[in-house]
Amino acid sequence: MTDEFKSRNAAPPEERGLQVPPIVHSIVSPDESSCSFSSSPPSGNVGPVLSIEGVTKTYTTETEPVRALDNVSLAIEAGRFVALVGRSGCGKSTLLHLAGAMDFPSEGQVVLDGVSTRHLCEGELTQLRRQKVGFVFQSFQLLHTLSVIENVELPLLLAGRADPRPAALHWLAAVGLADLAYRMPHQLSGGQMQRVAIARALVHGPRILLADEPTGNLDSATGNSILELLQRISSECRTTILMATHSHEFASAVDVVVRMRDGRIEEVAVR
Amino acid sequence: MPYLCLFLRLIVRPMLREKTRSLLVLFAVSLGVAVALAIELAGDAAASSFHTSLQTVAGEYNLEVRAAGGVPQSLVGDLARLPWAIRVTPRIEDHATVAATGETIPLIGIDFIAHANDPDGARFSLPQNTSIFNDINSPDALWVTRSLCDHVGGTVTLLINDRQHAYTVRGFLPSSAQVSGDVAVMDIDAAQQATGKRGSVDRILLKVPDRPGFAQWQQRIRTLLPPGVQLLPQGSETAANRRMLAAFRWNLRILSYIALLVGAFLIYNTISVSVVRRRAEIGTVRALGAGRRAVLLAFLAEAAVFGVLGSLLALPLGRFLAGGAVRLLSATVNALYVSSRPGPLALSTGSMALAFVVGIGVAVASALAPALEAARVPPTEAMARGRREYDVRVERRRDAVLAVLLALAAAFTSRLPALGGKPVFGYIAALLLVAASALAIPALITILMPVLSAALRRLLGVEALLASRSLAGSLRRTSVLVGTLSTAIAMMTSVAIMVGSFRQTVVTWMECQLPADFYLRPAGEPGADRYPTIQPGLADRIAKLPGVAAVSRFRAYPLEYQGLPATLASAELDSPQARQGTEFLSGQPSSVVLRALATGNNTIVSEPFANKHHVHTGDALTLPLGSRAVPFHVIGIFYDYGDEGGIVLLARSTMLRYLPDPAASSLAVYLTPGADLETVRARIREAAAGTDVLLFSNGEIRREGIRTFDQTFAITYALEAVAILVAVLGVAGALISIVIDRRREFGLLRFLGASTSQIRGLILVEAGLIGILANFVGLLLGYLLSLILIYVINQQSFGWTIQFHWPVAVLIAALSGVYAATVLAGLYPASVAQHLNPIEVIHEE
Repeated sequence: MTDEFKSRNAAPPEERGLQVPPIVHSIVSPDESSCSFSSSPPSGNVGPVLSIEGVTKTYTTETEPVRALDNVSLAIEAGRFVALVGRSGCGKSTLLHLAGAMDFPSEGQVVLDGVSTRHLCEGELTQLRRQKVGFVFQSFQLLHTLSVIENVELPLLLAGRADPRPAALHWLAAVGLADLAYRMPHQLSGGQMQRVAIARALVHGPRILLADEPTGNLDSATGNSILELLQRISSECRTTILMATHSHEFASAVDVVVRMRDGRIEEVAVR
Repeated sequence: MPYLCLFLRLIVRPMLREKTRSLLVLFAVSLGVAVALAIELAGDAAASSFHTSLQTVAGEYNLEVRAAGGVPQSLVGDLARLPWAIRVTPRIEDHATVAATGETIPLIGIDFIAHANDPDGARFSLPQNTSIFNDINSPDALWVTRSLCDHVGGTVTLLINDRQHAYTVRGFLPSSAQVSGDVAVMDIDAAQQATGKRGSVDRILLKVPDRPGFAQWQQRIRTLLPPGVQLLPQGSETAANRRMLAAFRWNLRILSYIALLVGAFLIYNTISVSVVRRRAEIGTVRALGAGRRAVLLAFLAEAAVFGVLGSLLALPLGRFLAGGAVRLLSATVNALYVSSRPGPLALSTGSMALAFVVGIGVAVASALAPALEAARVPPTEAMARGRREYDVRVERRRDAVLAVLLALAAAFTSRLPALGGKPVFGYIAALLLVAASALAIPALITILMPVLSAALRRLLGVEALLASRSLAGSLRRTSVLVGTLSTAIAMMTSVAIMVGSFRQTVVTWMECQLPADFYLRPAGEPGADRYPTIQPGLADRIAKLPGVAAVSRFRAYPLEYQGLPATLASAELDSPQARQGTEFLSGQPSSVVLRALATGNNTIVSEPFANKHHVHTGDALTLPLGSRAVPFHVIGIFYDYGDEGGIVLLARSTMLRYLPDPAASSLAVYLTPGADLETVRARIREAAAGTDVLLFSNGEIRREGIRTFDQTFAITYALEAVAILVAVLGVAGALISIVIDRRREFGLLRFLGASTSQIRGLILVEAGLIGILANFVGLLLGYLLSLILIYVINQQSFGWTIQFHWPVAVLIAALSGVYAATVLAGLYPASVAQHLNPIEVIHEE
């Protein structure tokens, strides 16, 4: 644990039997560097790109309420590549959804690039997602009725951008798939599909890229190449990446590892 | 039991999970079955009255004697005097209008003395200590059904021909007469006097002994009858009416099955979706030991569930719809065929069985193709391949080639003649065209979608792109959906074009055929088999009025020719005006043919008569006129749209030679040039004072004709509306299943920044695209079907020549309405898509 990180975890340390970090987890950005990927480098609010403050998320099931996140606090500065690790059901995906303005916390607040999601309406949340968030999924989630380039253009089209083609081509080239722009997704390999998904997640210049098990459906070699790609994005652009993963091996390749357990942050480790 | 358990878990449970979609399909199927059932019930009710109206209190007879223009009364005595034990009962059978209500009822004149001696005759209900013979000599004595007047001594005023008479009720018709609706009975002498049929009767009923046999009795009696008088088995008129009505009922029945055909598309779609969605499940259960037969049966059983439940729901719904249908049907039957009153609607075991056979049969037959496909798929393939790969397995080229072959077969079939008087091949051609269209749709979508997609994307943005790609991506489902809706639209379009063309043809025909300035006919609702007359003096009085150039008398009698009802008519053609306006198939000038008609034994026949009896210009025609059989020479065939049975027209002077009754059925009044219409109208009214006639100007009678026409076709519009409703419900159901199947895609779009309104827009654009494609295909198919309807089915069923006409305004209104309904049908599925939880659906896998 370095000075860069301060933890403010509400759960008493003795309950978890852990040597807990300071109360606030603040992940500060490395020095800015030039970004070979982005035609328009992300710019935004000064301060943390993502700030999760005392967030609790409770789901109501048929039998009893389930606490998916329990008083979690985390602040991530721009440009950091952060891995969320932990077992299934520990709250990684829930944290990603809250971070991506897909859901509201039951308690606490999420501040995304200086904007608190707490009081936003549905439309404002959508706007926030369009401008500041990119998602990458384990199962790629490409639309099979659209070509590769059309898939990449999608976020721009949804945001009402008139001429999305140049940006989409730029990002496809950046992930090494310019030649495959006009193919249909079912003509691609798994790794290629995930590269397309990454290009799609970055095409609108988000402040943060949220990746949920991006290598989960890939063999290890392909998974490594995807991880390398994410590392390059993180290092060459100022795009912050928050990646949920099972793989401790992959987790070691990132700047910061946030270990989660039972809805709480158990440990924050910086490489 | 294990199979039942599997069926409940794998088939019924998913159906229950998607309640809205299942209910929509169920309702659509039940509506389709209900409409077919309603038309069957209403048709039975309308047709059942033929033997109960004019044949009221007829008793048990086995032969009847009839003649065009009436049977000479002297024949009653001749037959009664024969040295055989034959019971002879003369009857007058006419119609009267109840002045108080305007209701037209059968008016029967019977020989009460003969009736009293008839052991099978129905007994009248009379006051105590009275006899029916007390009143038979009273010309105002009337026996009625209790619903017409409930007390003896009450007065009932009847309009008979062009006169009103007040009658006193002397008793009631027996319940054993099984009368449906109101009936009035009077003594035969009084009836002859009231109807102006002095010296003749309408029918003589005969009861012959069992020996020496019916055929011998027919032969024996026929030799004694004058040549123009017909001896027929009793009930032959009912049979003739039924034969004539058969084409109408047949066509109506076919029309009622349109909704069911649309329902069949829906079942096909539902089972196809079910197969696609459970493809992985099919693979799993096959891998776990289920055979092909089990898979086949499971999906057929799913369809059968819709069939059974749909049929069950259809029973009350069909009975309810039949109530409305019977009113429309009865109006049509009365206007076009025969005066009748619908019998009670009865949901018999037979009709219930029909509903189930039709419902389950159509459901299972529609599901057969997708169920077979599910059964044929190897388990490994089913588990390995996803929905998308399965969807694109539509073989567009093969289907397009098949479509062309089917269209060619339709063109060939449409040229075949009627089978047993029914346009069977016309309907087969129509079905082949529907099938060809369904097969051509995938190729058509593939061609049209990129064009539509590009245009709509510019107009509506990303929603249009996603919607069009999704529809093109799920080609099979889209094709079935477009096929369902376009079939309903095509049926609607074709019937609208046929009816619109027919209407325009009738309008044009009336412009030529009705050249007079005024027309007069007896008051009371007209009917195809009602022949009320105007007293002869009125025409003479009108002819002498200032401003009147000529009066042409038209007289009509019922005629049975070759076992089918027709009209024997005469027209006064003395004035040049009266010889104008009739259009002949040969194109000969009206004045030339009609001038020739007035000479010798010449006749002209209407087109339906010529078609039904295969009569051509130049043929000889022997007509039974009174007691004589008279040969006539056919000198022309004219267009006519007023009488489905057909008309044989003579010159009035010719008719009077054989049937000397001078009364007219209607009068056409021609004014002198420059005469003031309203002034002459007032003079005619004055001349007609004391008679109950209706006076129409030229414009008024045309409007009356069109009103009757529109009323006649009201039921066809109602049936079309139901078919469209079924199709729109189907679209709603299918869109819901699209939403369910693509929920992850909608969730993903939300992650990628789509707003809920964009998701809603996407579904509505899909509905709109389906609507556009269906309208396009439907209009094209509808046009082709209308050609079959107009030039094949109509010609073979009714024998009318209809000029093709595009009813542009009607079509624009109808197609816009269907389009709007299709988009509206997307509202609920859009709302479902809008409210999906993106986090839940994205992590379902």
